[in-house]
Amino acid sequence: MQFIINGLITGLLYSLLAIGFALVYNTTKVFHIAAAGIYVFAAYMFWWLSGYMPLCLAGGISLLLSMGLNYSIDLLVYQPLKRKKASNNIALVSSIGVMTIIVNLLALFFGNEPKSVSSTFNAVYDVGLFSLSQPQLIQVGCSLVLIIGFIVFFLRSQTGLKIKAISEDELLFAGLGYNSRRIRAFAFLLGGFFIAAASCLNVVEVGMDVNMGMNVLITAIVAMIIGGTGKIEACVLGGLTLGLIQSLVLIHFSTSWQNAITFILLLAFLFIRPQGLAGYKQRTV
Amino acid sequence: MILELKDIQLSFTNARKERFHLLSGVNLGVQEGEITALIGGNGAGKTTLFNIISGFQKDYTGQVLFKNTDLSKLAPFQISRCGIGRLFQGKQLMGSLTILENMLMASSDRTGEFPFSYLVYPRFLKAKESEKTELAVHILETLFGKGCKYVDMLHHPASELSYGEQRMIAIARLLMGENELLLLDEPTAGVNPVYNQTIARIISEMARDKNLTILMIEHNMHFVREVASKCAFLDEGKIAVYGETNAVIDNPAVRSSYLGL
Amino acid sequence: MEYILHIAFMLNIYIMLVLSTNVTVMANLLTLCQAAFYGIGAYIGTLFLMQFELPIIIIALCVMGLSGLCSIIITLASVKLKGDYFILATLGFQMVVYTILYNWIDVTNGPFGISGIPALKLLGIWELQGVYAYFAVSLIAVLLMVALFAGLKLSPYGRALRSLRSDEQSLQALGRDVSFLKGSAFFISAAFAGLAGMLYASYASYIDPTSFTLLESLFIVSALFIGGTGNIAGPILGALFVVILPEVLRFIGMPESIAAPLRQIIYGLALVLVMYFRPQGLGGKEIIK
Repeated sequence: MQFIINGLITGLLYSLLAIGFALVYNTTKVFHIAAAGIYVFAAYMFWWLSGYMPLCLAGGISLLLSMGLNYSIDLLVYQPLKRKKASNNIALVSSIGVMTIIVNLLALFFGNEPKSVSSTFNAVYDVGLFSLSQPQLIQVGCSLVLIIGFIVFFLRSQTGLKIKAISEDELLFAGLGYNSRRIRAFAFLLGGFFIAAASCLNVVEVGMDVNMGMNVLITAIVAMIIGGTGKIEACVLGGLTLGLIQSLVLIHFSTSWQNAITFILLLAFLFIRPQGLAGYKQRTV
Repeated sequence: MILELKDIQLSFTNARKERFHLLSGVNLGVQEGEITALIGGNGAGKTTLFNIISGFQKDYTGQVLFKNTDLSKLAPFQISRCGIGRLFQGKQLMGSLTILENMLMASSDRTGEFPFSYLVYPRFLKAKESEKTELAVHILETLFGKGCKYVDMLHHPASELSYGEQRMIAIARLLMGENELLLLDEPTAGVNPVYNQTIARIISEMARDKNLTILMIEHNMHFVREVASKCAFLDEGKIAVYGETNAVIDNPAVRSSYLGL
Repeated sequence: MEYILHIAFMLNIYIMLVLSTNVTVMANLLTLCQAAFYGIGAYIGTLFLMQFELPIIIIALCVMGLSGLCSIIITLASVKLKGDYFILATLGFQMVVYTILYNWIDVTNGPFGISGIPALKLLGIWELQGVYAYFAVSLIAVLLMVALFAGLKLSPYGRALRSLRSDEQSLQALGRDVSFLKGSAFFISAAFAGLAGMLYASYASYIDPTSFTLLESLFIVSALFIGGTGNIAGPILGALFVVILPEVLRFIGMPESIAAPLRQIIYGLALVLVMYFRPQGLGGKEIIK
């Protein structure tokens, strides 16, 4: 039972990150590997700021900074490439470069060694069958609010609809007279917000180091694919499934096998059900 | 009969989990040496039918017989090697390759396309390559006249050509292989009227001189009347009308449901 | 002198890795798992060197063959998956291989690595001693590879690979077996990466999984794209850049704690700038799509 709860909590964090990645991926079709850099950046800012101010404030500022950074990556790297009509693979390779830059700048300033946010809360609550630590409680609370808020927003608002439209056909979207730039900016800002939120919520419980981003990001992308690409809400389904499976695997194997399991799951999905859990087969011309 | 389609059926499941029958029993026979046009409204399944014949669309029921061999189990490249060439809708030449390379890639002679085989028989390979190059030049000259600009541009990237020109070369390169049946998906779509006439001419010439059988999808009825001898009208998942071109196009049912006249 | 030869040997290893990556990139198949094949080659090579007393040529061929066979998984993925999904699958393969190298203690000795790997034996008699001999062997391997790949690119097979970058469907409709083309390209690519791995393992006489991580794969891809794709000069230039740069930084007397992240930053920056201003790379010919 404890495993299931832990798995679901990790799953929620994956969902947040997957939403952040999917927002960017669906609107721009850029395979935003630099999101791993944003993830590490948010964690480090959070850690650094928490030395000077209360945790909530540090988290908030870190979120804002990450949003800004994510947006400036688009402004400085992806948009110029797009104006040159560069292919998606070129954007991907550039994104690898951006990730390398961010991660190593952080390593340069803060050093390579693992760090953790010194938290004052470590109480553990027993709830009958399982127990929840205080950080976990915060994780569940915040991520549930964010995810539900996002889904409601995404399904109800005009902007949500516009993001869906732009992910189908950007040229057509712009041709219909909508401002695709504004949606793009919005997607990067909101994407940065979700990536950073996942990161900050994760580091209140566990430590961090500069190279953690890639692993987590890839897991989140797997979650996105398992859920079904093209549908941002489905990330949550994928994230929860993946978190659950990963933690159930822990019963039998050690942590170091987790990545392998994730990817075997991914390959199985890509081969058997490429449309994801929530997708459906479409007619292709 | 060089190509026979027997009771081809294909259905999809849509978003609301409903079955949607795109093709519900297509029967069609194509005579050797004839040019047959396949007409029908958008979404009638014409291109899908082409995909079925050339092996890109599997999971259908029914039989596709080419010279009495069943194609349903073969991969697209194997079907092509049986002697079926195809022109795609919208797709052009391979832009990063030169015009000559585009022609050579269409050759049915694949000598040297095994990795490192150039180490085994370099001489033979060279001879084969120049043989193929000669054939390519010969084809371009017979279709577009001696000294046409494409021969001069052999070593230029195909992306330098305009859409219509690429379309014509894409048709011409089908002659490089030992094809007996050509599937042409909208040969004139997006091509200007002058090139339209050239395409009509080369298609007729190819069919006459090389005894090729051609099945083509086309929306331009003038073009169809000019080129095709037979015509098949695909509607509601079946070949609704089949016969001589003029008879089919003047058929009242075709006129009302497809041409809107 | 020995130091320079050491650098030159590592340069040769990276030239091999980057060139081998270029084979599939030529066909527009971007993979992020070259370090996995590098590692597979290193571990298989170690196994052979420790178990059998065989001439270098035979061991090399076995290692190349077995590394190549491992690429079948990637081929399957490339036939089935398109675009970003395929790239993700190669990432996955990289992670899985690393996890296996890390956890399969019985064979790989896990995180502790394998030490005392015997030297290569030329013709089964002369043991390769010292950095001179290894440099010579690696140079021969590189020259052979350059010659082979230059020919490959010009041959009809190379033409078929390049045509893959444009349009798979048309190629199939022209009677070309796309799965075979991809499979053979991955096989060649993996085989030569494996060869590099074997040379490295025997030279270093110690290997552990940390040399074959995802970051290493990204590093190889970065080198390729900085240098350039689609020809021979580009990859060599890229390997030169990434191998020489850290030495330059060390030469100007930068402490390692600053130099390590700094050179990564320079790689990253170079990659971004090259992709923007010269997407075919510094010395490359073709732009990846």
